[in-house]
Amino acid sequence: MSFLFVVNLKLMSTYADRYFPDEPTGPKVVTETIPGPKGKEVIKSLSDVFDTRCVFFPTDYEKSYGNYIVDADNNVLLDTYCQVASIGLGYNNPNLIKVAKSDKMIRALTDRPALSNFPGLDYEEMQRDILKYAPKGQKYVWNGLSGADANELALKAVFFNYQSTKRGYDSPFTEEEERSCMENLPPGNPELAVLSFKRAFHGRLFATASLTRSKPLHKMDMPSFHWPTGEFPAYKYPLEENEDQNKKEDARCLAIVEDRFKNWHCPIAALIIEPIQSEGGDNHADAAFFQGLRDITLKYGAKLIIDEVQTGCGGTGIMWDHERYNITPPPDLVTFSKKMQSSGYFFHDPELIPNLPYRQFNTWSGDPKNILMCGAIMKEINEKGLLPSLRETGLYFYGKLEELQNEYPKLISNLRGKGKGCFMAFDISSPEKRAKFLAEMRINGVNIGDCGSLGVRLRPGLTFNKKHVDVFIPIMKTVLSSL
Amino acid sequence: MGVSEDYFPDEPKRPDMKTKCPGPATIAKLEELSKVFDTKAAFFVTDFYNSLGNYICDADGNKMLDAYCQISSIALGYNNPELLKATRTREMAVALTNRPALACFPSTDYYEILKDGLLSVAPEGLDRVCTAHTGSDANEMAFKAAFLYQATKKRAGKPFTEEDKTSVMNNQTPGASDMVILSFTEGFHGRLFGSLSATHSKPIHKLDIPAFQWPVAPFPTLKYPLEGFEKENRAEEERCLKDLESILTTFPHQIAAAIIEPVQSEGGDNHASPFFFQGVRSLTKKYGVLLIVDEVQCGGGGSGKMWLHQHYGISPDIMTFSKKMQNAGFFYHDPLLAGDRPYRQFNTWCGDPSKALIAKAIIHEIKDKHLLNEVNKTAAYLYAKMENVRQKHLKLMLNLRGKDRGFFVAFDLPTVELRDKFLYTCRQKGVNMGGCGDKGVRLRPTLVFQPKHVDILVKTIDEAFDQLD
Repeated sequence: MSFLFVVNLKLMSTYADRYFPDEPTGPKVVTETIPGPKGKEVIKSLSDVFDTRCVFFPTDYEKSYGNYIVDADNNVLLDTYCQVASIGLGYNNPNLIKVAKSDKMIRALTDRPALSNFPGLDYEEMQRDILKYAPKGQKYVWNGLSGADANELALKAVFFNYQSTKRGYDSPFTEEEERSCMENLPPGNPELAVLSFKRAFHGRLFATASLTRSKPLHKMDMPSFHWPTGEFPAYKYPLEENEDQNKKEDARCLAIVEDRFKNWHCPIAALIIEPIQSEGGDNHADAAFFQGLRDITLKYGAKLIIDEVQTGCGGTGIMWDHERYNITPPPDLVTFSKKMQSSGYFFHDPELIPNLPYRQFNTWSGDPKNILMCGAIMKEINEKGLLPSLRETGLYFYGKLEELQNEYPKLISNLRGKGKGCFMAFDISSPEKRAKFLAEMRINGVNIGDCGSLGVRLRPGLTFNKKHVDVFIPIMKTVLSSL
Repeated sequence: MGVSEDYFPDEPKRPDMKTKCPGPATIAKLEELSKVFDTKAAFFVTDFYNSLGNYICDADGNKMLDAYCQISSIALGYNNPELLKATRTREMAVALTNRPALACFPSTDYYEILKDGLLSVAPEGLDRVCTAHTGSDANEMAFKAAFLYQATKKRAGKPFTEEDKTSVMNNQTPGASDMVILSFTEGFHGRLFGSLSATHSKPIHKLDIPAFQWPVAPFPTLKYPLEGFEKENRAEEERCLKDLESILTTFPHQIAAAIIEPVQSEGGDNHASPFFFQGVRSLTKKYGVLLIVDEVQCGGGGSGKMWLHQHYGISPDIMTFSKKMQNAGFFYHDPLLAGDRPYRQFNTWCGDPSKALIAKAIIHEIKDKHLLNEVNKTAAYLYAKMENVRQKHLKLMLNLRGKDRGFFVAFDLPTVELRDKFLYTCRQKGVNMGGCGDKGVRLRPTLVFQPKHVDILVKTIDEAFDQLD
């Protein structure tokens, strides 16, 4: 069976060829600027009622197709940003349109349930469809409504668990706890912390913004919990040539984390980390570092939360990026969103479910509309063999980018993400040059995003293949030569 | 014919109970579901395919009149044909298949969807919208808006200092703010860390979660019926306003905003008068504090007005919504509330066009079918009947409230045990209702709840009280 499947894959065309037969063969830019005149008009009217200062360009989603995004002026761009890394299977994927039009979806939209109180007849099946592709070692899923929401819900699960472990899982609350929490005071609202890393990004609500350390602008002027940070390793690239030094960097960073656990003024209930720090600059770390963190959490009785919001759902060539590090035992919670189109966290310890109802609770507790879409996306990725081909594309892409890096060493450096699908990034020599690079790429037909202070990140869909790389590279070459 | 017959010609005429609720099929299903989902809060497993109009169907085929409606979030009845139509459109399929990062790549039609939908019912003076994902999310984004606004004003055009930039990365002042949000006793504004710090409904909602030290002002505890206790209630509201003013003038940190529900819902359906709300508005204005009105549960037409605070003649700076609108977010006017520069109030999705489309469809129905008039007519009928039941069960049915507030009607029972027993009894008789606060029962029917549904509801309540007696 599996042999036939492999042969079939080779004989047959790529996923993009099969499901986007009419995909453009290249970008087509018809206006002098992006956004062009129509796009500017759309922005102008929208700006009366909605904040438009972050708009790249208004998008015509009906016309966008496969790996190509179409703007209001009919400019057709190869998309390597994909709604901030959240469109996994291309625009107007016919198999997802089927799901969107299915009876189940119509029901989910028309009669949205309060899932914790009134779960529908088909909810169990929906949950199981997601759990089928859960990270190794994870057994349950709790659903949220955004990446930040997922991370905050995971934090809540950890805090409930931390206190109930202290108290005894089924022990009652004390009167003092019940009274003090109504005034936001300990012991009812205990002082507990979660450790995150410098340059990390976990969201922008109040607890998640307290964890986020990417840029001052993401945090400025928000009240914040006084929580500790560790240092995320800053490796030298290429990795193969800097192994010793990078190992020392791991050891230095692990020592800082351990020091925080020893000396922080209140208990640290969990450590949260992205497998690849994405908003913070596409920073990678080694398996040994992740295992070191796992060992520290075990030593100090803290939970390990892996934030796969941006890295998860196949973008790095495997379903869950942290699985490549073989963290043992597996993390306690894994959060997800973006490409999954649903949000939430996986976990395996039943004691991460609070002992009483109405603790981890909210009106909707997720959304069957998202959960259905999520199940369909994961099924599509796995049944259509998207990941092996993405890994292949990634290596090809990396090789081509490496050639460009060698050709323009003063402009680009720190190419990273080899062997991680197309989840790649590189740095441009200065913020000004980077801004120019991104703008030029766009006007030459490639939509692309940045990260950190100098980074350019590639976040194409899982449907990106060699022919798209072959469109991308010449454009990048032209742009680099113009810089 | 009434509006519910128009929508639902096949709606059941009355509840139909085949088993106890929860019945054997629900119990079996929940056992399976509990292997992959926390089912401890489940009332029953719902068959949404066979739910219709004001009737919810469970896994055992029991059909119950629903006066709870997914915790107040179903506006137009189950399987509403107009909503079904809206979900079967090409634009919906496109929105679902290609969910945009709205702040970066808004769809070309997002303006029309907002303008024709949510913004067409924005309260007077609030003409901009920030879309979000849940009620908690909407409230937290409103808090952020308030913090950004106040900090920007304070900075008076000066750039961030180096100290701002370094301290904020360590979660410390001055970059991280020491400003606060003021909320009210027994308020409920959500369960994430910022919104939970403003929530004071019940210990179970708050226990074990780290919280911000934010101030709480007293919400009036009024006596019902309001018309019978005008003097006492006025004194109580004056006391609360005085306490509020004292917090506003003495709290050691700047109060960026105050948040309040027009009727405190989870906290027990606590009402206050227009006098109180006007007092809150003028005090917040006087002390430069923004006022956020949380219409997550109250809004969407159930009160007989689109937004419940419109009963009070006040104009907030920010109004949050979710639930019945199916799309969450907040309305505002001052552009500074969006932050003085981009990427401050920002996240990947910033809402969801599929939800904005549903909201638009719901709003069109509310307008086209004059559903607010329908609510007001039916609600007057409902309240009069409830008053009769109260007269009959003076010892059991306490504090009937919500007169002239549409379907926003509630009452208490003497104890939590009796309340829970009452809800259970009603469910066995085919009426699904929810509790609130410690001893409260709240009515949260759809906007297409009609006099014939009132008759069944009130009769069931009456009989359940008889049974408790």
